[in-house]
This record gives sequence, C-alpha cells and structure tokens, in this order.
Amino acid sequence: MEKKNSPFSMIMQYAGSYKRKYVCSVVLAVISVACGMVPYFAVAKMVTAMIGHEEKDMSFFVMWCAAAAVGYISKGIFNGISTSISHTATYLTMKEIRQRLISKLTKMPMGTILGSHSGHYKEVIVDRVESIEVPLAHLLPEMTANVLAPLLMLLYLFTLDWRLALISLITIPVGMAVMSTTMKSYGENYGRSVEIGGRMTNAIVEYMGGIEVIKAFSRSESSYEKYETAVNENAAFFYGWMKSAQWAMSAYNAITPSVLLTVLPFGFIFYASGSLTAGAFVTMIILSLGLLEPLIAAMNYTDNIARVSTVMGQINEVLESREINRTGKVTKMNGNTIEFRNVTFSYDNENDALKNIDLTIPEGKVTSLVGHSGSGKSTVAKLIAGFWDVTDGELIIGGQNVSDIPLEVQAEQIAYVEQNNFLFDETVMENIRKGKAGATDEEVVAAAKAAGCDEFIRGLDKGYQTVVGSAGGHLSGGERQRIAIARAMLKNAPIVILDEATAYIDPENEAVIQSAIAKLVQGKTVIVIAHRLSTITDADNIIVMENGTVSAHGRHDELLRHSQLYRSMWQAHTGTKGGAAE
Amino acid sequence: MIGAFKKIWDFAGSEQKNIKRSIVLALLHSIFYALQFAAVYVVLKALTSGDTSKRTALYAFGIMILSIGGRIVLNTFSQLQRVHAGYFMVANKRISIGNKLRSVPMGYFNKNNLGQMTAITTTTLTDVENTAPVVLVTVLGGFINSVVFALSVLLFDWRIGIIVFIGMAAFIWTTSLQEKHSRKSAPERQRAQETLVEKVLEAVQGISVIKCFHLGEKAGSAVNSAIEDSCNKNLAIEKQMTPYQIFQQIVLNLFAVIIMIVTAALYVNGTMGLADAMMMFVAAFMVFEQMKSAGISIATLRIAESSIDKANETDNVPVMDEGGRDIVPKTHDIAFENVSFSYGERKILDGVSFNVKQKTTTAIVGPSGSGKTTMCSLIARFWDVNGGKVTIGGEDVRDFTLDSLMKNISMVFQNVYLFSDTVENNIKFGRPNATREQVVEAAKKACCHDFIMQLPNGYETVLEEGGASLSGGERQRLSIARAILKNSPIIILDEATANVDPENEDRLQAAIEALMKDKTIIMIAHRLKTVRKADQILVLDGGHIVQKGTHAELAAQDGIYSRFITQRQQAESWHIAGQKT
Repeated sequence: MEKKNSPFSMIMQYAGSYKRKYVCSVVLAVISVACGMVPYFAVAKMVTAMIGHEEKDMSFFVMWCAAAAVGYISKGIFNGISTSISHTATYLTMKEIRQRLISKLTKMPMGTILGSHSGHYKEVIVDRVESIEVPLAHLLPEMTANVLAPLLMLLYLFTLDWRLALISLITIPVGMAVMSTTMKSYGENYGRSVEIGGRMTNAIVEYMGGIEVIKAFSRSESSYEKYETAVNENAAFFYGWMKSAQWAMSAYNAITPSVLLTVLPFGFIFYASGSLTAGAFVTMIILSLGLLEPLIAAMNYTDNIARVSTVMGQINEVLESREINRTGKVTKMNGNTIEFRNVTFSYDNENDALKNIDLTIPEGKVTSLVGHSGSGKSTVAKLIAGFWDVTDGELIIGGQNVSDIPLEVQAEQIAYVEQNNFLFDETVMENIRKGKAGATDEEVVAAAKAAGCDEFIRGLDKGYQTVVGSAGGHLSGGERQRIAIARAMLKNAPIVILDEATAYIDPENEAVIQSAIAKLVQGKTVIVIAHRLSTITDADNIIVMENGTVSAHGRHDELLRHSQLYRSMWQAHTGTKGGAAE
Repeated sequence: MIGAFKKIWDFAGSEQKNIKRSIVLALLHSIFYALQFAAVYVVLKALTSGDTSKRTALYAFGIMILSIGGRIVLNTFSQLQRVHAGYFMVANKRISIGNKLRSVPMGYFNKNNLGQMTAITTTTLTDVENTAPVVLVTVLGGFINSVVFALSVLLFDWRIGIIVFIGMAAFIWTTSLQEKHSRKSAPERQRAQETLVEKVLEAVQGISVIKCFHLGEKAGSAVNSAIEDSCNKNLAIEKQMTPYQIFQQIVLNLFAVIIMIVTAALYVNGTMGLADAMMMFVAAFMVFEQMKSAGISIATLRIAESSIDKANETDNVPVMDEGGRDIVPKTHDIAFENVSFSYGERKILDGVSFNVKQKTTTAIVGPSGSGKTTMCSLIARFWDVNGGKVTIGGEDVRDFTLDSLMKNISMVFQNVYLFSDTVENNIKFGRPNATREQVVEAAKKACCHDFIMQLPNGYETVLEEGGASLSGGERQRLSIARAILKNSPIIILDEATANVDPENEDRLQAAIEALMKDKTIIMIAHRLKTVRKADQILVLDGGHIVQKGTHAELAAQDGIYSRFITQRQQAESWHIAGQKT
C-alpha cells in the first residue's frame, strides 16, 4: 500500500490514457540526447585532426561543423516536441484529476463539503492541481535528458581514458562534503524558520484581522510595534541563516561542476607520460565541460518530486473520503411521513451527535425542533435533507428506508431553507427557475410575487435579468433569502425544512420574509428550527432535543407543564423578547 | 524585461545599495570564473608546443584553484548582499503596509479588503522574497557572467568575440520575442483560470442547492466545461509557444557552431594558431552556458514582477489626515451640524443636524439604505464628513488624534475579533493595566464568567486566532466585556448586527444592558422595547432626518415611525401557524 502511493504510480493512475504520450515524450527525449552527443563527436574529430597535424582542407571542417549543427538542431526540435508532448499529457492529466475530484464531490455527503471552508476544495481542485503542472511536465523529459546525457558522456569518457573519467568525478564528493557541513544544522534551522515565519504570519493576520479592534481600543502603537518586530525578526533570521550557510553553498556551487580542476592537471600528466594522446585529452576537456551541470540539475529535481507527492497525497485524501451510500432500488415514496428508528449519527466516528433517536414527523403537520446549540436539532434536519447518511439505525421517509432511495428522489421531496442561501452568479430569473427545470417566465414571476420579492426585483438595474454576483453578493442578506424562498416555492416540494430561516437576518425586511414563509409552508409537512420560541408556539408538535436525544415532545402548553428544559428555555426567551404586542 | 528589473529595483527602495554592491561583486566573480579559460589555454599552449614539463599541470591546477577560491569568496559576499536585499526589501514593504494601515479610515475596512491585504502581506510578499533575489542572481548574474566571458573572448580574438556578442544579442532577441508572446497569451489563460475558480467555488458552495434542486448534471457540466476550457487554453498556448522554445534552444548552439566554423576557417587559412583555434573550440562550448540558464529563469522574472505589481496595489489604499491633538472633551454631548456625506457619487447624508445630550439614549430608525450606519460611523470618524461637522463635547472629531477620539467611544459588534492570547488579555485589551478583579467583574457583567470558568485554564486559556474555539454568542459577550472594562462614555450599537447568533439571546441582552448603563448611547434600533425607552428617536429617510422626538410624540404622528412600529409589532409576534386540519 505504501509502495503503491509513490507519487509516480499515483500520477500514472490518473495519467491513464495519456501514458502513451509520456512514453512518447521520454523516447523523444532520448533521441534528443543522442542528437545532442553529435556535436561532441564532431568537435572531437576536428580537434584530433588538428592536433595530430593531419592535412585537412576546409571541406572536412565544414562537413563536421554541419554535422554538429544538424545535431544541435535535431536536439532542439526533439527536445521541444518531447517537452510539448509532456506538457500536453500533463494538462490532460490535470483535467482528468480535476474532473474526478468534481465527480467525487457529487458522491460525498453534502455535510462534509459544507462543513469545511469552501476555500478548501477550491484550493485542492484549482491551486493544488495547478502546482503540479511545472514539475510534472518537466519531470520526464528533463530527468531523462539530465541523467542520460551525462551518463552517455561518461561512457564516452571511459572509452577514451578510464582513469581520467574517474578523476573527473572527484569534485562531486568534494562538493558534497563541503555542503554537508551546513546540513548538520539544517534541520534545526529549518524548524526555527518555520516557527519564526509562522510567528510573523500570525502577527500579520492578527494585526490586520484585528485592526478595527486595535484602533477602536487605541492600541495601534503597541500592536504595530509587535507587528514590526515580528516582521524584522523574520527577515533577520533568514539573513542570519544564509550568512552561516552561504560560504558552504558558494563552495559547493563553485567546486562541484568544476571538472577542469582535476581534468586539466591529471590529463596533462597522463599526456606527458605518454599514456593519453593530445587529441583524446582535448576531446575529454570538451566533453567534461558538459558533464556535471545536468547531473546537478537532476539532483535539484528531487525537490520537485517531493512537492508532487505532497500534492498527490492531498488529492487522494479527497478522492478516498467517505461517500454517501445509497442502494437506489426504491424510486417511489408513499406519503411524506418521516420516522427515525433508533438512529445514531456521528460526524467524526467518535462522538455521537445523535444517540438512538426515535421520532415521527407526521405528514402535513408543523413539527418544530428546539434545544440548545449542540443538542442535535440541526443534525436531525440535515439527515432528513440528505446532507449525511445515518451512522446507525433507520431513517424512513414515506415508508422507505432512505438508504434505498436515490439522493435525487429524496431531494425532490424537500425544500430546505436556511439563513444563508446560496445563489448562483446568474440572473435573478435563472436563480429562481432552478427550483423547477423548464418553468416558464410567468411561473417564475408568480413565485417571486408569492415570496414578496417581485417589487424589489423590478427595482433592480435590469429587473429579473439582473445578475446577482458571485454567491449573490450584489444583493442584501434579506433579498437573497427572499429569492431563495421564491425558488423553494417554485419547487413546491411536499416537505419544507426551515433551518433558522426566520432569524434576525434582516430586521428591516423581517415582516416580508415572514409572510413569504407563511405562504411557502401552506399545506406542507414542515420542520422548523427556530430559536425564537414565540414563532413556533402554534406548532403541531415540538420536539425538545438535549445532548443528542429527544428530551420531550408535545404541544407548547403541554411542554410548558411537563418539560423543565422547555420551560426554562421559554422563560429565557420571553425575558428578552420584551415589547412584543401580545 | 528591462521593465521588470526596473520594478524590482524600485521595489528595493533602501536596499538598492545592497543590490548595487552585489552586482559589483558579481562582476568580479565573473572575472574569476573566466580564469578557467586561462587554465585551459595554458594546457592547450603546452599541448600544441609539445612542451611536456609537469609545470603546466601545476599551473593549470593553480589557476583553477585561484578561480574557484575567488569565486567562493566573491559569490559568498555577493549572495549575502542579494539575500539581505531580498529579505529586507520585503520586510520594509510589510512594515510600510502595517504603518499605512494606521492611518487608513476605519470605514475602508471590510472582510474582503482586509483579507486581500493580509494575503498580499503574507503570501504575495513571500513570493517576492523567494523569487526576486533568485531572479537577480540567475538572470542578472548570468548576463554579467556572459558579458565577461564574451569580453574575454573578444580580447583573445576580436573576430570570434564579435560572433559571441552577436549570438548573445540574437538570444536576447528570441527570448524577448517569446516573452512578448507569452505575455500576450497570459490574460487569456488568466481568464480561463478565473472562470474555473468561479465555477468550482459555485459547485462547492452551492452543493446543497445543486443537490436539492436536481442540478447535478447541469452544474457538473458547467464545472466540467470550465475545466475543459482551462485545459484547452493551456494546450493552445503550449502549441503556440513550442516553436519559440525550440528556436530559443537552438539559437545559441547554432552560434557555437558558427564559432567553430569561423575558427576552422581562420585556422585553415593560417591567420589563427593551433593553440588559439583549439581554445576557441573549447570556448564554443563554454561561452553561452550562463546565458542559457539566465534565459530559462526569465519565467521566474515574470512571477516576481507580477507579485510586485500585486504588492504595490496596497499603495492605492486611502489614508486619512491624522494631524490631530490629544483632546479630553469636557462633556460627551454629541452634535451633528449640517453634516453631509457622500460615498463616491452617492449622497448618503444631506444636511443632517441634531444634538445628543450626554448620558441619554438616542435611537435611530429608518428604512434600509437611509444612512443610519453611516451616521454612526461618522461619530467615530470612520470617514470624514464632506460638509458640516461632527462634534463631541464641542470639539470637532477631526481635531482629535484617532487614539484620543476612540478613548471616548465603544463600538459594539462592529467586529468581534479576538486575539490568540489569554482570555484575560483579550478582555484587558482596551485597558492593559486593569487588575484581575476588574477583569472578572467586567466578565461577570457581560455574562462571560461562567463559560470562561469552564474553559480548560479559565482566564488563562489561550484563545485560537479570531476566537474560533468559542461560539458566536460567547465571542460577542467577550467583546462586550472588553468594552465594559474600557468604560468609554459613548456607546454606539447596531441592534441588527448584535443579533447574529440566535442562541443565548437573553444573556447577550443582559450583557448589552450592563454596558449601556450611565452612558451616552447612540443605537440603530430594531426592537420595540429599545425605541420605547429611548430619550430621543431620530427617523432617517433618504439621508435626511424626517422625524425627531420621543416614542409617545412620534407614535401619535402619521409617518414612517408609526409604520415602523406596526411592522415591528407584526414581526415580533409572528409565528408559524399549526396545520391542525
């Protein structure tokens, strides 16, 4: 399993049909490397001829220079095409990964998605996937070229003179040895850099996030000082770290690729002693020049591999997360009565948010869920709406176990209205129309009128054709809410869930929202979560939740008599309500 | 390209001197780098003259040691200058942004632009830190090295030297050609990317709507086509760029071949000696290497440039004239004298005048968009008025320093930001020298004491940044405790934002009442109870005060206020009807 998760195999899993492209890219890279060797041969030929004082006319040189030119040109072309194919395959692979992530989203419990910051999935699907583009696109062709080319050269060097070939490699261990002197403290310094960088980030986030509070409490002087100190500390630390490590890095960078340091003197000694011809020597000087740079580049590439593997890990985490599980064998429900039979639910598989709940929500009645925050009242509503699957027990809607009902069929039955309703960045008309595919403009307008938003919509720049902005940002909270109610009205689902939909979102328009909701719930099976208990005193049934269980249920006056918890909640509520005309 | 360097240069500010020093050192470094040619030449000279004395080996070795040693020393110092410039120019920018925020009008801040500002100061500037110095090293350093190499060749043989310079010019030309092209396609790519982000966000945030309304396929196809689009854009751009990239790769190598053939010709016709010709063959392989790596790094230069552009956007943030005095007003009467205020083109307040006696409660009511929030924020000088003046105790708010003004005012619920510090320090934020007893007393008044005592370390519990570990209501009450401890004589409150958390409303109300005791209060009111108790009610409509008086006076008049009362009565007594039938 761990082996299987190597970044390469993970990528190949997604690259799938593009594998051939990657293979093609590698083959072309190999050809490109081979072509790149030609100029070295050509120069070797010319230099050997010159130094051997052979009588060659210009045509000899022209021929070999032409060969070198052809070699370079083919190298460039093959390399370019190889990189281009690799890029193409990478873009297609990225597309594949993104589409799989999107299709995964539709299979995950809605609750999981809505429960995390919306930026999280965007980050994974867009930014994280984007970040593998460069390393992935360059990985294969460049690794091939950077490793293969020096190997071929080294092979050639060995055929010319194995001693000098070996000697030419000496600078690598020397350079590494120098570098390793800084590596000892690297871990410690890196740890501190993360800490100090983190402290700076926190200081910045706090200073900016809290700037209003800072100003309001006249603390800008001292808070700014803290900010300034953290910023300067960060810069000073990194500079100090570089200062202590720079000489070794400079030495490494200067020594490692300097093959001439060894090749020149030793080559000359071998030449002087007669065991190396002048032609071979000069050829080796030229060859060794291109030997180590690519190898160093290949070593630096390991960074990229690590980066890709982190990203692939994050992607897989999403792809392997829990899915909603429906057999889908039932497609019709009988009525809209909702029953919880011994239902247990846990968000994290550790703490139960609901414990062995039994309750019935009768068709065509108003049922209210009340309780303190964390009591599980919202969880009950979200299970009915299909945000999650129950962990244990049975949730029955219309006589069918929901685990047998396809999510779409369940969703069809339910209109879920909450405080913050999402609107798409489309026209008002289209946003309302989403309630019922294929609804006519007249139907949309009728729903808007019923929801009490026709008037304000007509007052918008372009009326129903006004684009509402990303997530409805061009509208006020109350306006968004009313459009969402119109959308739900158009849907005309038999079950309506109101999750704090009447809370104080927009006191200026509260009355309009209330009358819209009153119309929405007419004749429906209604489930209401409302903190303001006065709004639900007339409910047919009130379920009082406490710590994930049902503490009591009944009508308002019954509960006042029998439920201690309900009574105290009612008192707390009426104590603050004040002034209401009753 | 020059433009990009200019940007980095301007951005460097006071660190320019270090960059300058670094460049000079890099130039010296290149000269030591070029010493390699000398080592090669010594060997080639001996080879062609048939000299086999071991001294040549020693010379070559010595020169190489000198070259490498010199490079190590010079590179170390040159790099350090650059690193210093990189880190400190970014630190200076961060500090200047932080400093600027102190004089930005409070009204400018909102979640959106503060988030952006934070992102720039952390992420974007870290990008600058990571890219700008590297770019300077590889691109600028690479060019400097190449020029020094070319000069060495020129000194050696002017004919070949000229070819080297032409080759470098040709390379720069192709590179800038490629640059121009990729810059042209950048916005297109950007657009595809933005659409992708938008569609993905929509698919994520709207997931419940998508599922509840059966939009799975349609929404899915919108995202998928955005993904498809972004992929196709990239592929198209890639296709366009490939020939340029190939051309860029080939051009320097072709010039290397030209050097070889010219060398051969000069050698054959006898105008160049054997050793020199061999030297030129070796040089053909060496002379352009630095240029190539400089060329590859140009892409990073683009990243650095766009990061700097983004960081510089913070320069456009508005600032307020801050030259006030430390004033302690004699009374806390508040007066608006013919105040006008516009936001951009829109007139929000128009000739508003009223007086508030200290220690009285003034309720502001009116339809949305009537200017209520603006009126409150002008008292705390979130913005400056366009006409007239706002005074506290007779002093124009513009004459105060921000600190001395804010000492008089507590704004509740404008922002319940909590710091990642202990609960105690959070409460003490407005009065750092308060004793533990005073803190506890304030917490008790704000109904915080009980939940604080339940936290793992009580008052010593360190809160997460933004107070994420507490519920919305708890955060609000903590912020009220903070305001109670600050004990400023004027309280400004918006009841609508006061009710973001429907839970525990009773305790929140108790906390607010504790805060308001014996204070001068200005509040945007929605509760009937509040308006009834107010000493003065101002009814705003369209930027004017249309009614002014007590509840009893205004309720008797036919007007916005009486309509407001009816509406509120309806709303506060509303309930969902049961459906017994």
